[in-house]
Amino acid sequence: MASWLTTILILLPLGGALLVAVAPLTSYWLGSLAALISLIEVGFWITSASKFDFNSPALQFAQNRQWFSDLGVSYHIGQYAFSLWFVGMTVVVMAACTIYGWWAGRERGRAYFALMLFLTGAIVGVFTAQDLLLFYAFFEAMLIPLYILIGVWGGSNRMRATITFVVYTVVGSLLMLAAIVVLGLQQGTFDLTKMGTSSSTWLFLGFVVAFAIKSPLFPLHGWLPITYRESPPEVSAVLSGVVGKAGLYGLLRIVIPTFPTVAHDWRYVLLVLASISLVYGSLLAFRAPDFRGVVLYSSLAQAGLIVLGLFAFNDLGFDGAVLQIVNHALVSAALFLLAGMVERRTSTGEFARLGGMARGRPALATLVMTTGIIALAVPLSTSFAGEFLILAGVFRQGWAWAVIGAAGIVLAAMYMLRAISGVLHQEPGPAVTDAALDLRLGELAVVVPLVLCLLGLSAWPNLVSGHAFGGNRALTQVITPTGGYLTTTLGQSGQWTRYAP
Amino acid sequence: MTTAAWICLLLPLASALAITLAGTSISRRTAAYISTLTTMGAFTAAAVAFIGMWGRSPGSRGSVTTSWTWLSAGPYHFGLSLLVDQLSIVMMLIVAGVGSLIVAYSIGYMDGEDEERRYFAYMSLFVFSMLLLVESGNLLLLLAGWGMVGLSSYLLIGFHHDRPSAIAAAKKAFVMNAFGDATMALALFLLIQHTGHLDYASVFAASPTGGAVANLIALGLLGGALAKSAQLPLHTWLPDAMEGPTPVSALIHAATMVTAGVYLIVRCHPLFENAYVIQDLAAGLGAATLLMAGLIALVQTDIKRVIAYSTMSQIGYMFVGAGLGAYPSAMFHLMTHAFFKALLFLAAGIAIHAIAGEQDIRKLAGAGKLMPFTKIVFLVGSLALVGIPPFAGFFSKDPVISAALGHGGWYGDLIYVACVIGAFLTGIYAFRLYFIVFTGEPTAFAREHFHAHHGQEGPLSMRWTVAVLAVLSTVAGFLQFAPFWTPFSTWLDPVAAAIVEPTNTQEYVTMAVSVAVGLAGIFVAWTIYAAKRVRAPRPVRLFERKFYWDELYDVVWYRSSDLLARGLYAFVERPLIAGSMSAVTGVVGLGSRELSHAQTGLVRSYALALAGGLAILAVVFLAVR
Repeated sequence: MASWLTTILILLPLGGALLVAVAPLTSYWLGSLAALISLIEVGFWITSASKFDFNSPALQFAQNRQWFSDLGVSYHIGQYAFSLWFVGMTVVVMAACTIYGWWAGRERGRAYFALMLFLTGAIVGVFTAQDLLLFYAFFEAMLIPLYILIGVWGGSNRMRATITFVVYTVVGSLLMLAAIVVLGLQQGTFDLTKMGTSSSTWLFLGFVVAFAIKSPLFPLHGWLPITYRESPPEVSAVLSGVVGKAGLYGLLRIVIPTFPTVAHDWRYVLLVLASISLVYGSLLAFRAPDFRGVVLYSSLAQAGLIVLGLFAFNDLGFDGAVLQIVNHALVSAALFLLAGMVERRTSTGEFARLGGMARGRPALATLVMTTGIIALAVPLSTSFAGEFLILAGVFRQGWAWAVIGAAGIVLAAMYMLRAISGVLHQEPGPAVTDAALDLRLGELAVVVPLVLCLLGLSAWPNLVSGHAFGGNRALTQVITPTGGYLTTTLGQSGQWTRYAP
Repeated sequence: MTTAAWICLLLPLASALAITLAGTSISRRTAAYISTLTTMGAFTAAAVAFIGMWGRSPGSRGSVTTSWTWLSAGPYHFGLSLLVDQLSIVMMLIVAGVGSLIVAYSIGYMDGEDEERRYFAYMSLFVFSMLLLVESGNLLLLLAGWGMVGLSSYLLIGFHHDRPSAIAAAKKAFVMNAFGDATMALALFLLIQHTGHLDYASVFAASPTGGAVANLIALGLLGGALAKSAQLPLHTWLPDAMEGPTPVSALIHAATMVTAGVYLIVRCHPLFENAYVIQDLAAGLGAATLLMAGLIALVQTDIKRVIAYSTMSQIGYMFVGAGLGAYPSAMFHLMTHAFFKALLFLAAGIAIHAIAGEQDIRKLAGAGKLMPFTKIVFLVGSLALVGIPPFAGFFSKDPVISAALGHGGWYGDLIYVACVIGAFLTGIYAFRLYFIVFTGEPTAFAREHFHAHHGQEGPLSMRWTVAVLAVLSTVAGFLQFAPFWTPFSTWLDPVAAAIVEPTNTQEYVTMAVSVAVGLAGIFVAWTIYAAKRVRAPRPVRLFERKFYWDELYDVVWYRSSDLLARGLYAFVERPLIAGSMSAVTGVVGLGSRELSHAQTGLVRSYALALAGGLAILAVVFLAVR
């Protein structure tokens, strides 16, 4: 049974999508069915987390079937400790967003809920595939429902948003496909666990560009503003909370272990881009005229911060990056959903027309305030824990990176407090009338669990950071069975091995 | 003992959660009582821990308990651990004790206020955060408490959230403290790199002694301390923070949170002693702050702002003490200051509460005649502030000043002179306030708006708490009389022994000098503001504009980041990032029109295209190989 868990986590939502697509039910009941399936999915994830052996660095719940034996392609799936957290944040965020879509009563429910479930299965597939072609298949399968979700259910400018999103992702996908094919042919297998390392700069860059578009990193974030603004709020939540993390996952799972020497040689390029993303995103978030604008540019800043952690190349950075990925998934999903709830009441997200919503709306005020202060990483929150580890890690690459990151902390306080006040404080804006009520039960049922997850993690962030790489071994020993290679090749530089004080 | 410490920490947190979750299902008064009783419970627990500690030998009074590993990465483990020792117990008693009094005072002060429950939830959150700060067993948790008090301070300053000035002040306080948090975090990264630990004992044992690293570590910590304690150059948020309700100013911005910087220096004194340059810098900044704040306080017209600048100035004295290495004296002044400054704020609060929320001293003038009780307690607080025997400030301020003589050298002498001038200024501004507001005939405004509460100056909850603080401000000083009676220093010796010991002569000289200049200051204030024998000089513009720090930061930080952000949007984001997309879609649109011609239906052209594509791929693969 246990070895089937990963497959179940992939197939349950895919099968659910099929069921929703054909079941003879009304839109409301289709939504209920989708919500139920997404909750069962969370239940299966909790089961898998309880059965997971966190002391083992090995791949767990793995299944491996030959697919095209000639090409060495296989259906090889499984979870490492960190994959488990990626999957966990996916199923939780997807459940919240599916339920929100149901509560909001999206039109064309059959297509909508089938796509949301399909998306869930595809993203879980991305985070568990251990074969590069399978990974690519899931990666593409993840993007297709998004095109439709944005193009059909988006805002007034949705066609332009969809085209932008398609062009960027297609460019990234094609680069990645080319890199995958060449790498697989070179290695004679597409199986990541059997693959050796490569020192090809071009292949490295192919992967990095694809993942940098997805994450996103400056200057490849051109799709971000329009897509996040025009999508329905729950789709923005999925995009920023989960889909963007596929890019970061790719850097963590594919780029760094497969191209260790190249990644190490190119680390300054990545660190510079990450730093620019952090500062640039924070500054634009500080000037953004609307709630979603702040959240979307802060996503850019956070992606930069996480890449700083990944390319710090030490335990502090890796553990902090995984923790921060989980944090940001929950935070940004909650913030986009809250932005949607505000827009639903006032039909605008612009601060010039908002304000004063705290008075008489205690639930909304409490949730916006709580999520906002966790987003700006107030100490003792789980995002503070993540940022602390990341910056402590990247500090070892050079103090300047940590200083830039610390400046990011101050900027985050500036833009997030501005957003909180812009919505909640001072005199009510022209768009805020008494008809704008406090959050309703259905909305609370969506956001409160996300915030509770964040508060729980704040009490014990070590749940993720201490259980991300099996028994606290260094990343590279976990991911490649031939981990000795990395340790011996790069051990002298002191970057890959664990630091012993 | 450790159980008591945990109870002390968690009771206020439980209260904050309970009030938040209960929402409107409990009455406003119930929320107030929950908050007050839990804070008093925390104080009782701290007292129990103190008694338990008393019974032990001085060497074995400290203990560390860890509940679980809060954060770990690879070989690093940072526990959720509490350290209870002689130093933290003093802070716990002050925080929970003064906290209980001020929360109890709030029952009357906030009565009838909108969203009263939210206020008490925030107050409980603050008490929890402050206790976390002082009880934390490692530097990471200290930083966590450090940030949490900043958060509660932000929430409480902005309590009246429909007032733009309150929200602006709250944001300013948070951002400036975030800057301090950031420099502290950088110091912690250095410590992790060089010692591999963050718990106090290991850090102190393994941290580098001297050199650039030690200096940077101390400088980073000092940055946090300066921001939190509103010392130069990170002080501009404190006067604005007076936008919060008066009990908040008393608790957070006078008695407890703003003194956290002093606690940090005393707690981490081994790190500062390894970097004596930075420690001297702390003393120098403290001296500069106490002078500047004293000068600004001379011309302020808002009763709370005068007291706020006085707080800044008194914390300057504490920084002088901590910076020179007179840790017990600094801590002793921290304690007495908590009493008399909370007293001054709360007494001012009674006046503000009774006279239509007015804070302008020109309108409040003469209120003493209407409020004899408030007049007396305010006088007690002012005398303690100036350091007139037998009030508490006399016993605690003079050892700090004499530490400058004990330190010696030109630097010590310079600081000594600054401290003495500061004592003179204290006498003037404290009694300028007292004479204007509490003597003479009431203004028409005060008479008209004075609103007695059941024939009293304020509700009972406000009067008894102030009375207790007045008693404490009178007697607390006798805990220690530097030349021959030093139980407080003896108690702190095992964790923070002083490294500078002024001689008895120096102590006596300082006492004589500082009492004399304090009295001289009072005399000056009396001549001008009570007897009116000399016309009040025109306020100096430099002081009124607060030395132009706000304008400086506005330009250097806020406006520049605003400008940078606008510039980036106008010159990078819009033309390059978003603009490139327009170019791409344009090209795609053009390309697709052109490509539609390619769909000729002729198989040979498709075959040609396919062959061409394969040829390109083959070349690419060969080249990459």
